[in-house]
Amino acid sequence: MEYAITLGILMGNSVILALSLNLISGYCGQISLGHAAFYGVGAYCAALMTKAGIPFAIALAAGMGLAGVVGVIVGLASLRVREDFLAITTMGVGFLFLGIVRQQDWLGGEMGIYAIPDPGLGKTGYLILTLAVAAAVAVFSLYVKRSWMGFSFDAIADDEDTARMLGIDVSRYKLTAFAMGTAIAGLAGGLYAHDIKYIGPDSFGFVESISILSMVVIGGIGSVPGVIIAAAVLSVLPQWMQFIAEYKLLIYGGLLFAVMRFSPGGLAEMANRAIRRWAREKTA
Amino acid sequence: MLAFELIVQGLVQGSIYALIAVGLTLVYGLLRILHVAHAGLFTLGGYFCVLITNLLVGVLPSPTGSFAIAVILSMVVVGVLGIVIYRLCYQPILDKPPYVALIASIGLFIAMEELFRLVFGPYGISYTNPPMAESVEFLFTSLKQAEVLTMLGAIVLIGGLAVLASRTRLGVAWRATVTDPEMAQSFGIDIIKVRYLNFFIGSALAAAAGGLVALLSNLVEPTMGSVPSYKALAIIVLGGLGDVRGTLIAALALGVIESFGTIYLGDILDRDAIAFAFLIVVLMLRPQGLFRSA
Amino acid sequence: MTPLLDVRDISVSFGGVHALQDVSFQVEEGELLGLIGPNGAGKTTAMRVVTGVVTPNAGSILLDGNALTGKPIHERVRMGLGMSQQIVKPFRSMSVLDNIVLAAGNARTHAPIAALFMRDRSAERGKAKALLELLGISDAAGARPAELPLGYLKRLEVARALALEPRVLLLDEPLAGLNHMEAEKLSDTIRDLNRNGTTIVLIEHNLGEVMRICSRLFVLDNGCTLKTGGPAEVMADPRVRAAYLGEGAANAETH
Repeated sequence: MEYAITLGILMGNSVILALSLNLISGYCGQISLGHAAFYGVGAYCAALMTKAGIPFAIALAAGMGLAGVVGVIVGLASLRVREDFLAITTMGVGFLFLGIVRQQDWLGGEMGIYAIPDPGLGKTGYLILTLAVAAAVAVFSLYVKRSWMGFSFDAIADDEDTARMLGIDVSRYKLTAFAMGTAIAGLAGGLYAHDIKYIGPDSFGFVESISILSMVVIGGIGSVPGVIIAAAVLSVLPQWMQFIAEYKLLIYGGLLFAVMRFSPGGLAEMANRAIRRWAREKTA
Repeated sequence: MLAFELIVQGLVQGSIYALIAVGLTLVYGLLRILHVAHAGLFTLGGYFCVLITNLLVGVLPSPTGSFAIAVILSMVVVGVLGIVIYRLCYQPILDKPPYVALIASIGLFIAMEELFRLVFGPYGISYTNPPMAESVEFLFTSLKQAEVLTMLGAIVLIGGLAVLASRTRLGVAWRATVTDPEMAQSFGIDIIKVRYLNFFIGSALAAAAGGLVALLSNLVEPTMGSVPSYKALAIIVLGGLGDVRGTLIAALALGVIESFGTIYLGDILDRDAIAFAFLIVVLMLRPQGLFRSA
Repeated sequence: MTPLLDVRDISVSFGGVHALQDVSFQVEEGELLGLIGPNGAGKTTAMRVVTGVVTPNAGSILLDGNALTGKPIHERVRMGLGMSQQIVKPFRSMSVLDNIVLAAGNARTHAPIAALFMRDRSAERGKAKALLELLGISDAAGARPAELPLGYLKRLEVARALALEPRVLLLDEPLAGLNHMEAEKLSDTIRDLNRNGTTIVLIEHNLGEVMRICSRLFVLDNGCTLKTGGPAEVMADPRVRAAYLGEGAANAETH
C-alpha cells in the first residue's frame, strides 16, 4: 500500500510536469529542452523557504512565482533567437542553471539540500494533494485549449508569420505560454522537494528535461489525455520493469526513436487512427 | 608560461570539438536537422579505432602504424554507418516538423550509448600499447605527440574538406544543394548522393575525433559522447548553422575559452556550463550567431 | 481629401540591388487600386513594405493619418490593414471555417490573458459563415485546407483577410494559378466587395481582369513608378506597353 502511494505521487508529479511543458511545447509549438531547470527553480526555492521556517503553502506559491519569472526572462531571451536556435538555447539554459547551482554552497552545491521539512500531511494526504493539483492542471489545460487563448496558440504553432497577419501578438503569447508552463513546473518542483525531502542538481539535468519532453511527445504533442497517459506510464515504467533495469535506458531510447519514426503524433495519433479504422469497419 | 599553455590546451580540445561539430553543421546545413546521434558515431569511432589498433598491435611492428590503419578503417566504417542512419532514420521523416527528427535522434543516441555499454562493458576500453605517447617540446610548453597529431589532424581533415568544397565538382554540387536543393536537382545533381556524401564525411570526421580522444586520454567509454554532443550543438549555433568555417572558429574559440574559464570562472560555473554561458551571452548580443549563416 | 493609405518615397535595397526607389502612391477611401508591373518590378516588395514584412531604407507610410513605419505586423493589422498572400497560407491544422473565425475574433485575441477568459465563438462563427457565403465557398466550411483545390484556398485567403474588417484590404495576386473562369469569378467578387465599400489595393499580373475591375492603376517597373491613372490611359502609354513587351501585352489586347 505504502509503495502504491509512492508510485501514485510520482505519477501525479510527472503528469503535472508533462502538462506544464505541453502548454509551452504542445500548445504554442515552442520546443524546450531545458524544462527541468524550472522544475529545479521551484524545488530549490520552496525547499530553502520551508527550511527557513516559511509555511509550506507560501513556499510552494513562491516557488511557482519564481519559476514563472525566470520563465519569462528565458522566454524574452528566446524571442530574440531564431526558431531553430530555441531548442539549443533552452538546453543551454538548463545547463547554465545546473552549472550555477553546482558551484554555490548556499544552494547545497554538488550535495544538494537535505532535511527538507515535512509539510505534515502524511503520505496519503500528500498523494491527495498531488493528484488534486494534477487534476487542476489538467482541467486548466483543457480550458485553455477551448478558450480564445488556445485558439491563438493553435495558430501560432501552425504558422507564426500568418498568425501575425491576423493581428495576433505572437511574442506576447509565447511569453504567456512560457510563464504559465514554467510556473506550473515550479509548483511541481516544490511538491517534489517536500515529498522526497532531499533535492540535488542531478534531478534537474538534461536527462530530466528530455524525459519530460518525451512524455509530451509520446503522448502526442498538444493532446491533454495523451500526455497524461504517457506521463503516468513512463514515470513508473522503470519501477515496474525492475527486472529489466539493465535494459531500461535502451528500451526508453528505442521507444522514443520508434514513436517519432513511425507515429510522430504519439499515442493521440495512434488512438485517432485506431478509432477511424474502427469507425470505417463499422460502416462497411 | 601559463597563458600559452592554456591556449595550446584549449586548441587541442577545440580541435576535437571542431572535428565533431563540423559533421553536425554539415547535416544541419543540408537538412535542417539537429543530428544529436552524431555524437554516438564519435564514440563508436573511438571504440573501433582502439579495438582495431589493439588487434593489429600484435601483427604490426609499430603502434603508430597500427593506429594509422585503425583510424582510417574506423573512419570508413563509421562513415558508412552515418549513411545508414540517414537512410533508416532521417530520410523517412524529412517532411515532418523539425522536433520529430530531433527527438528521434535523441532517442537513437540514448539507445546507442546503452548498446555501447551492453556490448563493450561499462568501464570502457584502452589502447594496450598507446601510440604517440611521448612528449615534444614546443615553444614554452611540452606537448604529447598525440596532442600535436590532434591539432594537425583537425587542420588536415577540415582543411581538406574546405578544398573539396571549393575546388572540386563534387564540392560545387554539394554547395549548390545546400543553397537550393530544387534548383540543384533541376541542374541534374543527384541530391540523394550529395546527402550520402554529407553524412559520410561528417561521420568519418567524428570517428577520427573519437580515435584521437582515445589517444589523448587512453580511454573510450560509453558515455563519452554525451558532453560533446551538447557542446557541439552550442558550437554550431555560434558558428552559424551550416557554416563550416564559422563552426571551426567557434569550436577552437570554445576550447580556449573553456581552458581559461575553468581557471578563472571555476567558482561560479562548472566547466561544461561555460560553453552554454558563452552561447547565451553571444546570442543575446548577436541573435544570428557569431557569423552570419547562409 | 487625405488619402486612406499614403505611401511616400519608399526605397528598399537588398545588398546592392535596388528593389524600390522613391516609390509613392496614395489610395483613397473606397477605391479599387490596381498595382501592376512586369515580373520583378517590385510589386510584392511594395506590399511587404506596407504590411511590415520588409523594412524600407527610406520613406514613410500613413494609414488614416497614422504612421505605420516601425510598427510590427500585428499592430498594423490592428490599425486597419488586411492582407491576403500570393502563396496561400491557410492554417492547416484548422477547418476552413475556423480559419475565418479566428480572424473574425481579432478583437478577442488582442491580449493573451483576456483571451484566456473568453470561450464563446458563436458571434464570430456567424460572421465567418456570412463571409464564406459571400466568397462562395460555404460548402467547404468543415473541410481541412489540405483537402481543397487552389480555387477554394484563394477565396479562403481573401475571406480571412476580410474577416479582420480592415480599412484597407491588400490582395497579393489572388488570381494567380486560377483558370480563366475561376479568375473571372473571383475578380467579380473583388469588384463587388469594393462596390460595397471596401477599399482595396489589388496586386495582379492578370492584366485582363485588372483592367476590367480597377478604377485606377499604378504601374511599377524595375522598382520605380512608371505611371498612374485610369486603366485605358495607362495601357495606352507606350512606356507601359514597352515594359510589358513579351509579357502581358498580349493579355491586355484581348480585352
